[in-house]
Amino acid sequence: MTTLLEFARVGYGYGNGNLFDDLDARILQSDCIALVGRNGVGKTTLLRLAAGTLVPDSGDVRLKNKALRSLKQREIAKSIAFVPQNVEMPFPFTVEQFVEQGRTPFLKMFGGLGAADRASVERALELTDTWSLRSRIFNQLSGGERQRVKIALGLAQQPQLLLLDEPMQQLDVGRQFEMMDLIVSLRSQGIAILAAMHDLSMIKGAFSSVWLLSPGEEMMQGSPDEVLRPEALESAFNCPPRHRPMLVERTRSRKELAQ
Amino acid sequence: MVLEVAEEQAGSAYRGEQEHRQRWLLAILFVSLALAMLAALGVGAVSVPPRALVESVFGIRPLSEEQHVILFSIRLPRIIAAALVGSGLSVSGLLFQGLFRNPLADPYVIGSSGGALLGASLGVFLLPALSIAGFGTTALLAFAGAMGSIFLVYWLASVDGQTPVVALLLAGFAVSTMLSYSSYFLESFDQGFGQGMHVLSSWLHGTITEPTWPQLAIVSAMLAIGLAGSAPLARRLNTLALGEEYAMHLGVSVQQTRIAVIVVGSVLTAAAVALGGLISFAGLIIPHTMRMILGPDHVRLLPSTALAGALFLLVADTAARTIIAPSELPVGVLTAFIGGPFFLYLLRKARREVML
Repeated sequence: MTTLLEFARVGYGYGNGNLFDDLDARILQSDCIALVGRNGVGKTTLLRLAAGTLVPDSGDVRLKNKALRSLKQREIAKSIAFVPQNVEMPFPFTVEQFVEQGRTPFLKMFGGLGAADRASVERALELTDTWSLRSRIFNQLSGGERQRVKIALGLAQQPQLLLLDEPMQQLDVGRQFEMMDLIVSLRSQGIAILAAMHDLSMIKGAFSSVWLLSPGEEMMQGSPDEVLRPEALESAFNCPPRHRPMLVERTRSRKELAQ
Repeated sequence: MVLEVAEEQAGSAYRGEQEHRQRWLLAILFVSLALAMLAALGVGAVSVPPRALVESVFGIRPLSEEQHVILFSIRLPRIIAAALVGSGLSVSGLLFQGLFRNPLADPYVIGSSGGALLGASLGVFLLPALSIAGFGTTALLAFAGAMGSIFLVYWLASVDGQTPVVALLLAGFAVSTMLSYSSYFLESFDQGFGQGMHVLSSWLHGTITEPTWPQLAIVSAMLAIGLAGSAPLARRLNTLALGEEYAMHLGVSVQQTRIAVIVVGSVLTAAAVALGGLISFAGLIIPHTMRMILGPDHVRLLPSTALAGALFLLVADTAARTIIAPSELPVGVLTAFIGGPFFLYLLRKARREVML
């Protein structure tokens, strides 16, 4: 299995202490990774480093053995799509116009979308089941529809790696399960996924591995069963022991639901 | 399967309909602009009947001497000037709205017109010696002023790459007031024995005075450069609507685009201000109206906005010089009457939708 993206001794900080020191990690082509950790621990920062919009202070993030800092952002965006948490549109773009923006890295200086670009947009709309929304105004969509349309924009980039920042945010339970189904189906399309996740109960069954970030400690990597253990979570989330049963219970109930 | 094919056709039909609509709108605007120009030639303190116009165009009967002078030395230059000014203001409004990600940006509101005015006044008051190439210098200084003021407003109003409505409006208001009144200050250095004062007063009122043909040539060239420069920027403004970080991720060089938009927008503002002075809100009304018809795609909006802006200001200016004939209103007064309420409506809407 070839390595798609590699963090090689990556260091990054915002001035008041480093978020990452010598971070080593790799994403393989078939990976579907959940990135978990408490608020402010650096999940979004890690995604931005992976997308090349932040450049590490030390070390390198490499896409197929090429350092991101040596690549043009245009080239990176053809392989890696970053779906941010919030998108505020100042104008009433339709869903289709919104998703078309995903073709930006492929377009020439002049000239618009060609047949291949259109096909790619249409496929992205189909994969995310947003085809019927295409002439709606993006700003008027519900939270769940908006999340799917944002992912459609990412898919229009025809990425090998999809970075999702809190894809479950503000979704009701029904939409959360839809999102998990979408993630599973994307995985079966051969797209690697790295998703920052808040809801730990959703991870098992859908994700192949988990990266757990804890402040001041090395990132923990492993299968969901290895990482999502009470001892590890307790310290990473600074969660008092008496609240632990709830966590375990929720994990269990999700498993039962899956069966 | 059948359903899929049907849906696919529906998809392309929808896009086709949009393109269809754009072509129709462009054709309608083009024809209206031509008709409005002819009509505007005919009306005024001395009316020239349409029959005389048509006959002279087809060489049946030439115009009288007096009619000829009125048409070609007074009215035609003014009509062209109004169209150029309207086009410049509307397109620069469209560009600034895209840049600030804010439908309330307009060269007048954000102070770029004020900057252009100050620059132009510098030319008129302090450098009258350059009066041979005077207008060229004035236009160039207007351009520099417009650019300086937008950079200033942008810097004052942006917080983490966002420009909140309130910050933008306040910064624009402060800068534009400061700059406009600085022009009054320059008045005291007037070396042209009242000549400059007259020019400044017509600029501050927003009056399109009868320009000379060389002046029109300079402004036409500026408008052409501005429009040509806008074309490759339009698509980038669409991507920029997603936010600066997202646009950067998609491979748009945000910094470069931002500077290019400011330069091109300033060329257009300067072209408009050099001929018409402070004409408010035209850059707000036209892009917004076009957006209601065509949607927010800047690529699609650009040509229609340029034409509609020309048409709007031509009609407004013709009204301004005829409704109280033989006296004249500054066209800036008319656009303020129409644009002010429009601006307030947009502001209320923005408050409901985006929060300040």
